[in-house]
Amino acid sequence: MILPEADELLAPVMAIEGFRLGCLIDGSTGMVLASLENQDGLASSTAAAGAADVINVLTLLNGRLATGENLEDVMVTFSDSFFMVRPVRRDQEPQILLLVIADRQRTNLAMARRLIRDFCASFTS
Amino acid sequence: MSQVTRRTRVRQLADSVWPGRTVDGYANLIAARLRKLAAAESTGMLPVSGRGDGSIYFRGGQVVYAESSRTPTPVRSERGLAALGLVPAAVGAQAGHARPAGYAGSNGLNGLNGLNGLNGSAAGARVPGTEVATLPSLGRLTDVLALTEQTIDAITDLLSSESRYAKFRPSEAPPIARPSPLPVGAVLAEVERRRQILRQLGPVITADTPVVRDAARDSPSFQVSAPQWALLVRVGEGATPRALAMTLDRSVFGTTIKAYRLLALGLLAVPGRPPVTGGPAAWPAGDVMSFLRAVSDANSGDERGSDA
Repeated sequence: MILPEADELLAPVMAIEGFRLGCLIDGSTGMVLASLENQDGLASSTAAAGAADVINVLTLLNGRLATGENLEDVMVTFSDSFFMVRPVRRDQEPQILLLVIADRQRTNLAMARRLIRDFCASFTS
Repeated sequence: MSQVTRRTRVRQLADSVWPGRTVDGYANLIAARLRKLAAAESTGMLPVSGRGDGSIYFRGGQVVYAESSRTPTPVRSERGLAALGLVPAAVGAQAGHARPAGYAGSNGLNGLNGLNGLNGSAAGARVPGTEVATLPSLGRLTDVLALTEQTIDAITDLLSSESRYAKFRPSEAPPIARPSPLPVGAVLAEVERRRQILRQLGPVITADTPVVRDAARDSPSFQVSAPQWALLVRVGEGATPRALAMTLDRSVFGTTIKAYRLLALGLLAVPGRPPVTGGPAAWPAGDVMSFLRAVSDANSGDERGSDA
């Protein structure tokens, strides 16, 4: 982990009901910058790598479709959990991604998405 | 009766004398040296030479900075230093720059505990529904990330099979230092992950593979991001990812991945090779890069190493 102050950094997303894991990832290299786990057994490096791969594939798709749109976020639903990935800042380097994994039974997806969006927007340059 | 065959024993002896004869033999020696320096909580500089010259700086057994002649460093570019907000004391005083956050000592090694400045005056807005009133500045976060990326990029380059280390110099201080030192274990894990990715990319592109713009695909029906466009316009008549990284002041590793993605889009081509017509879908399965596979391979490598 590159930033040891993960607790402080990711505290806002930990407020999501059912929060399991939060990660900040350098999307261009796949490096985990900070991670915060609320549940044992979740490998942040594996989850982060998968999230970066998903974003890369969708970016490639967007590049080929050439619709002029930008990727805002990705929501994936598993049987027990939600995977939510969002670029903290679009179209700029470094491409930092936020990954949040939350319990499906306890999480209000709309509220979680809103909190994640606000968290990313609250970073100041 | 010995359980080790004679041939195995000979190979073990040869490896101990000439580690370069094994895959990553010297890189493993350097990694072992880094672990020893970490265990001894050393402060100073380890010079490394090989394909490129460089050095790795420690404070209290943790990595604070590294540079290689084959990767961009913030020291080479004052613009880069200023952009990071991290200027060496002498330069900063002359140029009238403010001292970087946490850069307290004259040797740049003192008072660097914690990620100073990350939660500084540039506090973010309040997130509804949370008790946290201040958030870190993305600018500070990217500053720290930029220096970290350049440090790990340099160490990835220095830990090659052709590199050798020289005598550790305890008195040497870095020209610039990360606010929070990096544990050696985390650095080596990240380097191993990157090596797995570079192995995946190897059949398609390396940092030293020349690439050119693919004129046949140079049409408006592709959408690229601003960073991808910045790379595309600098490729010109042909350039390697390493040269582009030097020009753009970006990491060689990241630029190689970016060039790979532009190859996948068909906007770049490797001279002498048939153009990509179907993107990664048309490539052999092993040639498609995956961060997930790299983590898996790196972990299985660790397990093999611990079994040995």
